[in-house]
Amino acid sequence: MNELLTGAVTGIIFGFFMQKAQVIRYDRQLGALRLRDMTIVKFMLTTVLIAMVGIYLLLDLGLINLSVKSLSLGGNVLGGLIFGIGWGIVGYCPATAMGALGEGRYDSAFGLLGMLVGAAVYAEFYPVLKGSVLMWGDFGKVTLPGVLGINHWIVIVVLCAAFVVLFRWFERKGL
Amino acid sequence: MDVLRRKTWSPYAAGALAGLLLVLSIFVTGKYFGASTTFVRAAGLVEQAVAPEKASGMEYFLKTKIKVDWQFMFVVGVLLGALASARLSKESRAVAVPSMWSRRFGTSRVKRWVAGFLGGIVLMFGARLAGG
Repeated sequence: MNELLTGAVTGIIFGFFMQKAQVIRYDRQLGALRLRDMTIVKFMLTTVLIAMVGIYLLLDLGLINLSVKSLSLGGNVLGGLIFGIGWGIVGYCPATAMGALGEGRYDSAFGLLGMLVGAAVYAEFYPVLKGSVLMWGDFGKVTLPGVLGINHWIVIVVLCAAFVVLFRWFERKGL
Repeated sequence: MDVLRRKTWSPYAAGALAGLLLVLSIFVTGKYFGASTTFVRAAGLVEQAVAPEKASGMEYFLKTKIKVDWQFMFVVGVLLGALASARLSKESRAVAVPSMWSRRFGTSRVKRWVAGFLGGIVLMFGARLAGG
């Protein structure tokens, strides 16, 4: 099937799910950052939980390949901190900003314009960053089971249990 | 299809469905979900139109080719899917300033829009630096 068509269809279904879960709203995203409303955390961790099991099942069957990103402490930590500041101000992450626009929350359009500019700025600085920040603590393409040297299903079971404990706690606290 | 018209689904149910969608996507097309790379490609498209020589010489665009690809359409699709869902449940409405923002920072549209724009720049620079 055409790559552009599958991309659009997958995006439409994903956007539909995100709207139904109300995770594309500013109030929900800020609610999570203010530790008052864990709706988006429930959505994200459930997605991770299901996908983690499904992906490793298919991997063990030899049906798919993993797509592992490099671990660069400089890039991940510094980038994460900068991203967090921006996210707290915009109140939407890139994909949810598109969803919010679809819902009619058009303040996200200004966030999206800023994101385009931010992407262009990053492209300008990339040659400098490549030789500096991105090289700090560069561990290459590593995975948790690989680093720990244990079977991936142990990691998966532990994480699933941790998520479930967290979900129960959210529900008890009414978050 | 009453369930499609419901105002909201449990975040656990919607999240689980999103997880299944991701697994299916990887199985069928080998594609993992992402959004940020599309913003660089879109910025590249603009630069290509405005200053083609500059864009073609930039190291970043040699690594990340300027093109409309699977992820680009995925990101566009998210907008359309959210629009369809909001329409079906009659939740679609024009909101200029989110309520939590206005309770803290007031109802000024310009203030919200400028903050959103500037925050967007910071957010995407950080996201790309972190590899997201």
